[in-house]
Amino acid sequence: MPASGSAASESSAAISVRRLNFAYAGDRSALTDVSFDVQRGEIVAIVGPSGAGKSTLLMHLNGLLPADVPRRRDADEPAITIAGQTIVRENLPNIRRFVGFLFQDPDDQLFCPTVGEDVAFGPLNLGCSQAEVTKRVIESLTAVNLADAISRSTLQLSMGERKRVCLAGVLACRPEVLALDEPFSNLDPRARNNLLDCLRQFDGTIVLTTHDLDVVVEFCTRVLVLDNGCLHADGPPAEILANSSLMQRHGLEVPFRLQSRQ
Amino acid sequence: MAGNYWDRYAREMSVCHRLPTGLKLSLTLTVILLGCLIPVEHWPVHILLLSLVFAGQSLAGISVSYLVKRLSLFLPMISILSLSLPLSHGGSAGWIIAASIFLRGALAFMAMLWLVNVTTTDQMLETMRRYGMPAIVVATLAFMYRYLFLAWDERDRMLQARRARTFGTPTVRQRWQLGTQLIGMLLIRSMSRAERIYGAMCARGWNGTVHHWDSPVTAETVGRIQRKAG
Repeated sequence: MPASGSAASESSAAISVRRLNFAYAGDRSALTDVSFDVQRGEIVAIVGPSGAGKSTLLMHLNGLLPADVPRRRDADEPAITIAGQTIVRENLPNIRRFVGFLFQDPDDQLFCPTVGEDVAFGPLNLGCSQAEVTKRVIESLTAVNLADAISRSTLQLSMGERKRVCLAGVLACRPEVLALDEPFSNLDPRARNNLLDCLRQFDGTIVLTTHDLDVVVEFCTRVLVLDNGCLHADGPPAEILANSSLMQRHGLEVPFRLQSRQ
Repeated sequence: MAGNYWDRYAREMSVCHRLPTGLKLSLTLTVILLGCLIPVEHWPVHILLLSLVFAGQSLAGISVSYLVKRLSLFLPMISILSLSLPLSHGGSAGWIIAASIFLRGALAFMAMLWLVNVTTTDQMLETMRRYGMPAIVVATLAFMYRYLFLAWDERDRMLQARRARTFGTPTVRQRWQLGTQLIGMLLIRSMSRAERIYGAMCARGWNGTVHHWDSPVTAETVGRIQRKAG
């Protein structure tokens, strides 16, 4: 049940997606007619089978796909609005300030020799002073419990630490929305809980993709089910993810947490 | 490849490690330059320079087995390169030039090996930047260092996956075929990773300008900012 937001909800929404269509060059459609709004402060999970278009949708929220500006299906207008700004080339710097993107593979995001330098990358690009950059680096690393790793090489981190350093790099840019692409993949339960604790401290909007449906029940306020590029369901996790026929239809399973309730 | 394959000793604390990075860089460049300028006929000078470098490596605590392993990678390459000239003349000429390429190459390699083992990469990059090397070159070198290991790990994983499905001993021809396929795949994967890295840079506001964070952070600074933040 894709949301059919009104103009009023569009203006107050942190993210507004209207009839988004997208296809990679020479490929079948990756996203078809996707519409939804995300209000400020919501924690929204996008779930679905592999290849459903979750990461593609998330990347659109940061204007990261190499194609032209995403367009609406019914009109030649931009399909995505972030905090009232449409995703067009001129707005990308502002939109990227507003939306922080965490990549699925931390090695894509950690490209500086030391942890401190990597976290400093974003604030430096934002034009912050050296003192401000230092302050942000330390505060962000403290928020992810890695302040003592500031001088460590990015080659010497465990997967959980790498993910948290990546999160610190995003937090240092002080975004209002976090777009997290499978943040819990390849993490053991302790590392996953550490990352969840860091995310709980974030005082803003979060949109994430994940296959870990138990985390969705525990952490998210809303869930979108995406399959084959189309949005099939939108609502509270306890309601949507407990629907076993819906889950089965889209290659998912009712999470353990909800199975025990049933 | 381990993260410290080339610079295993870089974080030790010998006399050589304690020298200023600028001095170490200058010493290395001087040795390489001298090796290039002195004609090969004065080979005792080259031997003397090699001995100096070797002495430096001993002082830095670099083990002989480490040197032998790295030289066993480099010497065959430089030998082929230097022998190509006399061989192209049917062995009748070019031996002096071959010896010169070999001696100078070996000297430069040994000197660089000493430098990377007595200086950490971030110190080296910082010094290069201070000496006026363009920021884009320093940034490219930093990326190269970071992603060299990832490409190597990728290669290891692909080799492992290949071995897991190899039931028998492949012939030399099959090995060459698989090797070329592996190189091709590595290239394609490197390109797609490059795209993702560029995306990650754009997501954090990259606009083509390289900025440098100039604040050496001490434990005291960390404590002060943490206290302030509560």
